[in-house]
Amino acid sequence: MDFNLLISSYSAVFTNVQVLLMTLLGAFGGVLLGAIPGMTATMGVALLIPFSFGMDLIPSIGLLLGIYCGGMYGGSISAILIHAPGTPSAAATLLDGFPMTQKGEAGRALSIAMFSSFCGGVIGALVMTFLSPLIADMAMNFGPGEMFMLAVFGLSVIIAISGKSIIKGMMSAFFGMLLCTVGLDPTNGIPRFITYSQTSLLEGFQFIPTLIGLFAIAEVIAGVERIIKGSEKQETSHEKITNVLPDLATIKKIWPNILSGGLIGTFIGAIPGAGGDIAVFVSYGASKSASKHPELYGTGIPQGVAATESANNGCSGGAMIPLLSLGVPGDAVTAILLGAFIMKGIQPGPMMYISELPTVYSVFAALMLANLCMLIVGCGGVRFFAKIVSVEKKMLYPIILVVSLLGAYSINKNVFDVGVCVAFGVIGWLMNKYEFPLSPILLTLILGPMCEKNFVRFMNIQKGNFFAITTSPIAMGFLLVAVAVILFSIYNQNKINKRQAAAKAAENAQE
Amino acid sequence: MKNKTKTLAFANLVGAVLFIVIAIWAWFQAEGFQEVKGSYVQPATFPKIMIIGLLIFSVLLLIQSLWKLNSMKETDPLAVPAQSINFIKDKSIAAGVLVIVLCIAFVALFQPLGYVLSSFLLSMVIMYLIGKRNWVQMILVSILVPLVMWAIFYKLLAVNIPMGPLTFLRTLADKI
Repeated sequence: MDFNLLISSYSAVFTNVQVLLMTLLGAFGGVLLGAIPGMTATMGVALLIPFSFGMDLIPSIGLLLGIYCGGMYGGSISAILIHAPGTPSAAATLLDGFPMTQKGEAGRALSIAMFSSFCGGVIGALVMTFLSPLIADMAMNFGPGEMFMLAVFGLSVIIAISGKSIIKGMMSAFFGMLLCTVGLDPTNGIPRFITYSQTSLLEGFQFIPTLIGLFAIAEVIAGVERIIKGSEKQETSHEKITNVLPDLATIKKIWPNILSGGLIGTFIGAIPGAGGDIAVFVSYGASKSASKHPELYGTGIPQGVAATESANNGCSGGAMIPLLSLGVPGDAVTAILLGAFIMKGIQPGPMMYISELPTVYSVFAALMLANLCMLIVGCGGVRFFAKIVSVEKKMLYPIILVVSLLGAYSINKNVFDVGVCVAFGVIGWLMNKYEFPLSPILLTLILGPMCEKNFVRFMNIQKGNFFAITTSPIAMGFLLVAVAVILFSIYNQNKINKRQAAAKAAENAQE
Repeated sequence: MKNKTKTLAFANLVGAVLFIVIAIWAWFQAEGFQEVKGSYVQPATFPKIMIIGLLIFSVLLLIQSLWKLNSMKETDPLAVPAQSINFIKDKSIAAGVLVIVLCIAFVALFQPLGYVLSSFLLSMVIMYLIGKRNWVQMILVSILVPLVMWAIFYKLLAVNIPMGPLTFLRTLADKI
């Protein structure tokens, strides 16, 4: 590595006013867009890319990376404050972020999310800078068998997020996997299930409307019910946000989660097709399994927020690795970035490290700057965003409803998606009522298509011999880790159930 | 136990039966999928694997619920009362169901009335339903939120949203 060139590239990027302004603008736009349910970083980058056409390469990349990083953090704001993840990558943040808001710790949750996002982003950017050739080499060796096992490994986390009943969690997961198979068969294009009569479903259930329905609409219906029943308390953030960053004691508590989350995010982000949406659940599951008090996860603890937020921002660095070194995008946003490079006459790939090394180093610096800009925007906005929860619930629910329904429409500009969103709102409301966990459905909606596509590809390559997968050490490695995760999760859940039963027995004895 | 039908165990039993019905329906649907010659994995293969998984765990829940209902103790975690969906007896559930009906009406009115007007009606009715009576706040929020959202999507993000009778706002926004 040419350190002199690296340092000169960093100083050139950090002192260029146009790059600074564009990256800051991108981060601001990204946080805003990410915070709106239904608006993803992908959509933000896709919509704003025309604005970067007239600029030089580095300012335009700065703008796009700013949106990318800002969007990743922005998604957590609505997940924490209104129980509606702004982006799929923030889906796991609501598991602990929203309970923290319910406890009146919205400001603290936001500052932890921001700090963890920044640290995760920096970890991702550093790994990208120093280890990109190694990680890219490893990801390059993944075939369909390895990708299938990666999806299986991701799905093993379901047990960890199933809540009280593993049986109900698995039912939710298989139901979610079944939902993924609605629409055209990914290999042969054969319509499946109700798509014979409903052509709008040929592409299956769209992820964002489904996500908004399950998590936002269902919450509004339940909220209205609670208001009428009189059990809805007016929640205000009692915590005074004296500092916009978490205090030292909290940082001490969460740093292992940030470190592991950042690394998990970077690694998963580096695998093409796997992004922040998968990384957050893997990181959350890993953090829960490693904890001495796994029963506290989901009740609103800083570690849960730190593990997920560091992972999704770590992904931004990870996803850049195959993009730059192989010319293969790691996720949807980097696919758009790839287009931006090509438009500027630069073809990312191994040759870029030889012919365009200063550009590569400038991109490294731009990603670091994007994370810094996200921190600045976040610091300025924490107090403002935390105030949103103090809005009267009688006004907040209708606002969430109309914003969410618009989010569902905006993805494909299709009213049918709004109907899908409402339908999933009803399903989510009913499932919540009868304690069927919704998170496994969310996870399967992301991993299901990847799982099926690679399963079919692998089976066709191996002429129907599934057991040929045992010849791949990487795939077997993923399987072993998946089994270990499942066993650990079952053990953990039993421990949690026993502790809860003991606590209840003690409570009864006192009475 | 006096009334076991109101416990979570009974609700689980109903849930298990529902998922079994869904799985059986899906299986018959999958049986009708077109076959592809020469492919090692048919379009129905993967869905069928998922249906089998769903069936296995639904049957497990069914057995667990029947077992618990048969020998239920007051202290059992599944002996807690389950939530109801009887919207005729319970006002709060009726309100929840009404929100669903309003959302369906919103979807139906989205194209003809446009986003801003249908959102205005939706939020006004819901606010009134949940007991908000400050008319100034109600009207302001119901108009401003959809209008600002539309403006952001239209002007900043170039997403065209149906506006119904308010389509003239686009011309107005274009002039700004």
